[in-house]
Amino acid sequence: MNTTVEVLGFAREPGWLPWAVQYFFLIGISTAAFFLSLPGLVWRNPDWRGVSRRALLAALVCGLTAPVALLADLHQPGRFLNFYLHPNLGSWMAWGSFFIPLYLLGLIGYAWLCLRPLLAELAKRPSPLAGLYRKLSYGGHDNLSVIKAAALVATLGAFLVLLYTGMEVMVVQARSLWNTALLPLIFAVTAMTGGIGMTALFEALTGNRQSAPLLNQWLARGVWVTLALLTLWLVFGLFGTSTAAAEALAAMHGSFGWMVTGGWLFGSTLLTFWLARTYRNSLLVPALLALHGAWLIRWVVFIGGQSLPKMGSASHSYYLTLTPDSLLGIVGMAGLCVTLYIILTSLIPWDDQASA
Amino acid sequence: MNAQPDLSRRAFFTALPAVTAGLAIPAHAADEANPHWSMLIDTRRCIACQACTMACSMENVSPEGQFRTVVATYAVTDQAGKTGLAVLPRLCNHCEEPPCIPVCPVGATFKRADGIVLVDGDRCVGCAYCVQACPYDARFVNHHTGKADKCTFCSHRVEAGLLPACVETCVGGARIFGDINNPQSDISRRLTAAKGKTSVLKPEAGTTPRVFYIGLDQQLDGRVDGASTADMMWRPATQGA
Repeated sequence: MNTTVEVLGFAREPGWLPWAVQYFFLIGISTAAFFLSLPGLVWRNPDWRGVSRRALLAALVCGLTAPVALLADLHQPGRFLNFYLHPNLGSWMAWGSFFIPLYLLGLIGYAWLCLRPLLAELAKRPSPLAGLYRKLSYGGHDNLSVIKAAALVATLGAFLVLLYTGMEVMVVQARSLWNTALLPLIFAVTAMTGGIGMTALFEALTGNRQSAPLLNQWLARGVWVTLALLTLWLVFGLFGTSTAAAEALAAMHGSFGWMVTGGWLFGSTLLTFWLARTYRNSLLVPALLALHGAWLIRWVVFIGGQSLPKMGSASHSYYLTLTPDSLLGIVGMAGLCVTLYIILTSLIPWDDQASA
Repeated sequence: MNAQPDLSRRAFFTALPAVTAGLAIPAHAADEANPHWSMLIDTRRCIACQACTMACSMENVSPEGQFRTVVATYAVTDQAGKTGLAVLPRLCNHCEEPPCIPVCPVGATFKRADGIVLVDGDRCVGCAYCVQACPYDARFVNHHTGKADKCTFCSHRVEAGLLPACVETCVGGARIFGDINNPQSDISRRLTAAKGKTSVLKPEAGTTPRVFYIGLDQQLDGRVDGASTADMMWRPATQGA
């Protein structure tokens, strides 16, 4: 076997920037949080009533922010029109451009229908916004059949969004780290843990701690499945069952950075599992760790996956910079989430008193 | 001196339009025969001077640090400890089964009847999905346009009857460009002569590239296990300077 040193190599910079990480992170969380809203708001399970309201808030905050990251990644936001003018239906991304509005319109409609009675209540209170609440409540009926219909549309949209976000990445054979059938499952399960994390964070922020055991129970289950899937991918790669996984491991071989990343990923996931199982009444720390885990897996897949060379030996390490498509973009998305949270919580009370 | 024009000369000038028309008709017919443009790279003739890299950058006004074609250069040491230079000129392979086309969400990437894979800049949204799908790292998002960019075989030059800039400038004549549908073309004759000795990059990818290599070290036809001096170097653009 000859040994080679690449004297002059040309590594491409990543084509998908942190915008992509933020989009996949936020839209995944939104769909998961939407699913968490169903037991309380559609099936009217009393144990879930309060937590489902905060889950709906999380679904709205993340769902409304996510497409902004996607548009930003197109360099010129107006280009999104071409997705509808010239769709290539053989591409998962093209289908995504139809699934996103389906999900978001379903979610917004569902949220409005769920909030109508509360808006009617708010309209009765002396407030400068009473007129706005009255108009928004549109009679204030609590029509469960219509809520179920809207939930069905949003559920279909959420499943399709989870499907396309996973498949879009999985089908790229040129990226060895992406080209695994486990990826859509890993994205879906970590979206669930991230959604639980965001809901738990909102629970902590609104001071509702009684749902902690319920959320931690589901978080532990989700993290357990995540660990199982990650281990399965590792086994597939080590035993050569999956050519792509084996190739990805070979490309990572001997890299200190990848060893640290792998250790961090498995270590933090195990820590989340242990915390969720041991400190069942704790909300904030498991919530932050769950969010960290969901974000980290997407960062590793997207930014790490693009650093593995397709040709030659040179890898293109990505460094966060203070530019709009890098660190400022991440901060900007977080800022938009905070802004939406402030607006929504200022206009509508989401705590248990409001639901009562 | 005879004032009358020479009859044979008159006959020649009279016949000239017919002769030129006759010459033009086969040329036109050849155009209609639908050429299939390809490139053959004889790595034995490449001296890694990067003249092709520069000519391409000048011709196509590539942004700084972004290249449509490059010549990757390797120091290969065999088991006897002997070290030699190996080169790999790289560009878009204008594949017969291009993985960049089906993923494009807006159908901006397409393959012409003459085999050249192009990007419709008006339609491209700069999503970089094709960049991900290309197994050869041939595509990138142009920093100036924010759209997908790649080698076009200098289609604008080819349409004007010129060779691609990299071929034109290659000092060793390592790049041979032509119509593989025409058995008399230089590329067809050379491919026939080198039958069994040509190869393509990542044949296992199933993309059927239309850039062929002679003398390509199989160890270099995809991801290469080995050290990269780029990973050892201090790079100001990425390290905050």
